[in-house]
Amino acid sequence: MNMYFIHTIASISHQDSFQVPNVFEQLEKLGDDSDIVSPNYKEYVPPTALRRLGPVLRMGLTASIECRNNVDADFDAISVGTALGCLKDTEKFLVTIHTTTSDFLSPTAFIQSTHNTIGGQISLGLKNHAYNMTHTQNNLSFEVALIDAMMCVNEGKQNVLVGAADEKIDFLAQAQPDLIPDTHPLTSGASFFVISPKKGKTSIGVRDVYTNFNATNSDKDIQNFLSKNDISTDDINVILSSSEQSFSDKQETLNYLDYSGMHYSAPAFALHLAHDYLLSKDKQLALIINDMCPGRLGLTLVQKQ
Amino acid sequence: MSELKETLKAQIIEQLNLEDLTVADIADDAPLFGEGLGLDSIDALEFIVLLEQNYGIKIADPSEGKEIFQSVDSLAAYIEKNQ
Amino acid sequence: MKIHVTGYGLISSIGTNAEESIESLRNLKTGIERGRSQATKAYNLGAIHLSNDELKKRFDLKTDGSRTALLGMVAAKQAFEGHELSDEIRTGLISGTSVGGMDISEVEYKKYLDQDGHNPENYKHHSSGTSSDQIANELGISDFVNTISTACSSAANALMMGARMINNGMLDRVVVGGTDSLTLFTISGFKSLMIFDEDWCRPFDDTRKGLNLGEGAGYIVIESEKSLEITKKQPLAVLSGYSNASDAFHQTASSPDGHGAKLSMTEALRVANIQPEEIDYINAHGTATPNNDLSESQAIQSIFNDRIPPFSSTKSYTGHTLAASGGIEAVFAILALQNGYLYPNLNFKTPISETGLVPQTTFEEGKKIRHVLSNSFGFGGNNSTIILSAT
Repeated sequence: MNMYFIHTIASISHQDSFQVPNVFEQLEKLGDDSDIVSPNYKEYVPPTALRRLGPVLRMGLTASIECRNNVDADFDAISVGTALGCLKDTEKFLVTIHTTTSDFLSPTAFIQSTHNTIGGQISLGLKNHAYNMTHTQNNLSFEVALIDAMMCVNEGKQNVLVGAADEKIDFLAQAQPDLIPDTHPLTSGASFFVISPKKGKTSIGVRDVYTNFNATNSDKDIQNFLSKNDISTDDINVILSSSEQSFSDKQETLNYLDYSGMHYSAPAFALHLAHDYLLSKDKQLALIINDMCPGRLGLTLVQKQ
Repeated sequence: MSELKETLKAQIIEQLNLEDLTVADIADDAPLFGEGLGLDSIDALEFIVLLEQNYGIKIADPSEGKEIFQSVDSLAAYIEKNQ
Repeated sequence: MKIHVTGYGLISSIGTNAEESIESLRNLKTGIERGRSQATKAYNLGAIHLSNDELKKRFDLKTDGSRTALLGMVAAKQAFEGHELSDEIRTGLISGTSVGGMDISEVEYKKYLDQDGHNPENYKHHSSGTSSDQIANELGISDFVNTISTACSSAANALMMGARMINNGMLDRVVVGGTDSLTLFTISGFKSLMIFDEDWCRPFDDTRKGLNLGEGAGYIVIESEKSLEITKKQPLAVLSGYSNASDAFHQTASSPDGHGAKLSMTEALRVANIQPEEIDYINAHGTATPNNDLSESQAIQSIFNDRIPPFSSTKSYTGHTLAASGGIEAVFAILALQNGYLYPNLNFKTPISETGLVPQTTFEEGKKIRHVLSNSFGFGGNNSTIILSAT
């Protein structure tokens, strides 16, 4: 059995989640008007770079730098997930092209609009020349980035940065529910992790990830996933789900979207929650169920050894 | 000319999103690129947009910008000459 | 583990399949020409002159989607032709795209700005992941779907991701490649960067001024040995090397010495376990921007020294198809391996003064070609190299 140990976590969210030992301590269900709790970005990013960065870039880069500050070595691979990418710059450039009649268009928003700007800024900010991948797959963007990071570990990498980031713009509400579900208030967030084949301080790690792109029976998928890992449902201490999933009264359940709000990188925040849950309550197993979109199921098994 | 330079500085700060700077922080003869304000090739393109939008001056070849965008002095001189 | 290629498909401005593409390559017939619409007439583009409805009808597409998805379906269906889905073979689709459904979103957003018939339902096509879902749906693939978005290196990275998922025992067979349609968003974007050549682009020429954009899609099917035993497919080539490295120099510009490009080519050669002198042809990234071609030339020189194999940029035919380019060029590489083709780099006259490199300028066939190296470099310093080898 492979374990992918989590060495450090940095989350920027609508909760007080950055540089806190246990995210549960001040966790609150979000109301409609919550706002992102931003660290002081200027402490992380030089002004010449910061002035160009939209929210998702600020969050992704700062969370990554914080992760780098907390480990001893440079990342030997970087895997980033984002579902909708740099929406603010995308919208800004759309406005530019539809309203500018001049021959000359301001290029900065276009440059910053591509999904891989997050990964690119991380490599630039950290002067990192390693493998650098950007995955985008709607609600499963973090899971596919995590699968990539786990493969990197299988291939011998020791210090892999993996995370996901998404930002909201006001316009996004117009595109609900066609582009993103409307069950929770729209939010922004970034959660980044360093995973390694070696135990970290906590001996908590990701044990397995499963994705299904034609999920018609999620209960059966969950049973198969757990039995493949020699685990029964009763062994699970906590279920973190994007809906109201529960098996029995043997475990706690929580809907992570109540705490992250609605953005497609929320499952990465759920991994942060799972880690801190197992650590603070000294429990062994957490299951993250990502069923934000019908037919698209992601399962992540988190274990404390 | 000095009025033009002050206007230019404000326009540069806005166009390039130099939120931490004020007009007083930019010396007329300070290099804008490299060691100076630390601007780069993307900013050079933004300068081209700025000149077109505010002064109606078109620079079709970005490589021409190198000389023109050295400092606020050189920018102002170029605008005076070409407007 | 050997990663076998058992299918390929492509569509671009020089052809809707491999046969048409090779005819164009052989006859030095570029797909780049003046845009035909009001919005595009100021640009030289490699456009595909089939409307979305024509694409659906001609290629019998059952799934609706953005133009990016439709082009992807055309190429991926070609690649997957003759393949059957089976419970025994875990089959995935990994697709690169940079614009996703922007071709639809940009039109819809204009209606929003104009307050004229805005229909938000159309944003269901917007996300890049959805364009891959739509392609996977057309092929019936659901074991795994993933979208890579690393700008112009997306398709090359999709090939790499697919090969690694097979090597890691997660999938047996994967359709990998990329797709991008021409959009006002990207055309305006590259215009804002002032890296268009108003004329026909001239890769690796000293007088090159910039790129021409194109659209298209290219996919290949890769399989494990185990999968081959079941599908009984004839291997056409081997995906022997792949690599991804970061230039970490600048958001849009390549480092002058091509540091990231050197890293990615060196690592791909190591993965393929071959020496530089064994490479018989390089399909260069060769966008024809002053920056890329100089940086890439210098990286090629530093790796191949004075034994530089024939190299060319086929973007002088197709235009730069962004996220699709690595997929389209992988198909060109496979055809080169199968038929001994060398593709000309159109429009070359004068070597770049700093390097003096002269690309392949004529179409040749029947050459002995065992290994082809293909580069794809993207914004954000995402540099990728793949190597395709004869079986």
